[in-house]
Amino acid sequence: MSADHGHGHGHSLDPTVTEPDPHVPQAPSGRAVRIGIGGPVGSGKTALVAALARTLGSRLRLGVVTNDIYTTEDADFLRRAGVLTPDRIEAVQTGCCPHTAIRDDITANLDAVELLEERFGDLDLVLVESGGDNLTAVFSRGLIDRQIFVVDVAGGDKVPRKGGPGVTTADLLVINKVDLAPYVGADLEVMTSDAHRMRGELPVIAQSLVTDPAASDVTEWVLAQLAAVRVPAA
Amino acid sequence: MLARARIVVERRGARTVVRELRSQPPLTLLPQRGAVASRSPAATVHMLSSATTPLGGDDVGLEVVVGPGAHLVLTGVAATLALPGQGTSGPSRLVVRLTVGDGAAVQYLPEPTVVTRRADHRGELHAELGAGARLRCREVLVAGRTAEPSGRYLGLTRVVDTATGRPLLVQEQELGDPTLHASGAHLAGRRVLGTEVLVWGEDPPTGLAGEWWSLSPLAGRGSLATAVGTDAVTAGRGLAHAIAGHPGWAATTLTSAAP
Amino acid sequence: MASLAALTLADARFPGGGHVHSGGVEEAAARGLITGVPDLGSFLSGRLRTTGLVGAAFAAAAVVAAARPDAGWAVLDGELDARTPAAAQRDASRAQGRAALRAARLSWPSPVLDALCAVTPRPHHALLVGAVVGIDGGSPAEAARCLAYLAVSGPASAAVRLLGLDPLAVNAAIVALRPALDAVVAQAAQAAALSPDRLPAPGAPVLDLMAQAHVHHHREQVRLFVS
Ligand SMILES: Nc1nc2c(ncn2[C@@H]2O[C@H](COP(=O)(O)OP(=O)(O)O)[C@@H](O)[C@H]2O)c(=O)[nH]1
Ligand SMILES: [Mg+2]
Repeated sequence: MSADHGHGHGHSLDPTVTEPDPHVPQAPSGRAVRIGIGGPVGSGKTALVAALARTLGSRLRLGVVTNDIYTTEDADFLRRAGVLTPDRIEAVQTGCCPHTAIRDDITANLDAVELLEERFGDLDLVLVESGGDNLTAVFSRGLIDRQIFVVDVAGGDKVPRKGGPGVTTADLLVINKVDLAPYVGADLEVMTSDAHRMRGELPVIAQSLVTDPAASDVTEWVLAQLAAVRVPAA
Repeated sequence: MLARARIVVERRGARTVVRELRSQPPLTLLPQRGAVASRSPAATVHMLSSATTPLGGDDVGLEVVVGPGAHLVLTGVAATLALPGQGTSGPSRLVVRLTVGDGAAVQYLPEPTVVTRRADHRGELHAELGAGARLRCREVLVAGRTAEPSGRYLGLTRVVDTATGRPLLVQEQELGDPTLHASGAHLAGRRVLGTEVLVWGEDPPTGLAGEWWSLSPLAGRGSLATAVGTDAVTAGRGLAHAIAGHPGWAATTLTSAAP
Repeated sequence: MASLAALTLADARFPGGGHVHSGGVEEAAARGLITGVPDLGSFLSGRLRTTGLVGAAFAAAAVVAAARPDAGWAVLDGELDARTPAAAQRDASRAQGRAALRAARLSWPSPVLDALCAVTPRPHHALLVGAVVGIDGGSPAEAARCLAYLAVSGPASAAVRLLGLDPLAVNAAIVALRPALDAVVAQAAQAAALSPDRLPAPGAPVLDLMAQAHVHHHREQVRLFVS
């Protein structure tokens, strides 16, 4: 990110985009901070991206890359939600292999990120949503700087105990849809304590996008990452 | 049979006149005359070939020179039957060279070529386009008469923009190998292949496609329409759909009486 | 001496973005042109002899070019463009070239790659492969074999993923293409030193029209592959 954090070239014409918040921490150099959002199908990844875009979209120069298996579906959702202009969202086709596209062969995603950066000049933050996959699918460090793994209470309260690289190594674990816990008989206490046990010092956030559509805790975590991450030069 | 035919047309005032016309059997060139022809800014020449050509061993060349600003339409009269020769006659060959001057236009519209059983035919079409020159070139290939296996055909089309030296289209087509025809990558079991090159003003920004036809802009200028079909009528309809979506061509057909 | 570059580039695990391209298989499967291993074998054989031969010949020619002080990349690029009439196929070829370039620059840094990129930042895949094999000291035939193999192995893998075909049977179908593959490699290697305007240019009409249809369908329904 450049020092002059103003309405630079290629800036969105979206009238809802306001002046950048001077208190938003800036990533120190080169390119945008890239945060991956992974997790099983239906856990709430797209909903989280939409929430972050809604809360941060007016303060940060934001881009989104989505890998959903149904390619354009997520992008369409985000467009319809009106949180981002369509040109800020790039959809990646993963050839039936969502985990390959974020881990073993990240080139299609790198291309998408670069395309956004070319289109908008400097960006502060690029969110990369994975196509929904199993518990072993994590992002390559060659693609992202930080990753969030999203699971939900409806997927069963055993999920954190099962572990897998997503649960154990992601920089942030989000246990989503806590509003549904009473209905699906999920024990939140067990989920969070299992999660902490599996993850040691790494953070865990339990949230509901129904009761907190702004995803306040995750937003705060994301802003802290922007301040902390030293991105490699572009 | 060795034959060299030649047409030279040039622009005079608002009209195109035929300055040189040399037919040689089996290829006869017949300029269109009469009231309709005299009203049209383009010159039209019909191409007639004798019934039994090309025959194995035939070597036919057609050289077409369209002077700056002139407009020539070359049309076939009947389908061509590529037939085998006798003994060791070797393949039959038709080589067409179109030299299209600056701002000139040529439409080369032969009727379908039917590659009959045991025929061995070679076709080449070379087009050199000057600055702003326009070209419309159609080729319809039929792999054998109804219920007849196809003979062998090898064709080459090469279109070059002489102003830039850049090749616009280089494409070979092959008929006669049933395993190739059957492949979903080649003819998907269809018998007829139609292509039409249009270097004719504005190209579509992206390709268009129907079920068995497409129109795609080339990398330089120009577009290629491709259609396959179980018969020549179907493939021809596919080509017609495709070129109807070409903005440069559509603009011409709206404003003038192009054939 | 076998070229490690040719081996690496032909490896399905090479991180060059190949897995998101089906080479026409997704569209062919959607049309019912490919339903099982026999159709797939026939599709692959047609693809190999047309698009595969063009790619193999240009990869081989790129090996020769890479060894020259003035490689003449612009001429090869233009001739390959002219042999790829479907815009969707040109896009797919350049997308793969650019994707492979990312890995290539780290693994085989060379002024040869810089010269190729100076002509176009999105080189055709075949030229990128040939340049890399040339940098690595490989032969035109090795580059041609790499390209020809990729012309069938990528689409075959896409068919396994899309149609749930038996991967063992599909592998056998690829191996059964050996004679055609050898013929394509021989033809490509022989053409390598020709003037670029004389390189082979066999057309693949249904592949071309399906490539455009794929893009078209992607706007209306779902397509899982880029091409
Ligand atoms: N009740 C509830 N539903 C949620 C919550 N977050 C997301 N959803 C819903 O869960 C479904 C799947 O969410 P989506 O974001 O598409 O999941 P993805 O597959 O991980 O991207 C959608 O219907 C969302 O509206 C939440 O916190 N509570
Ligand atoms: Mg999603």
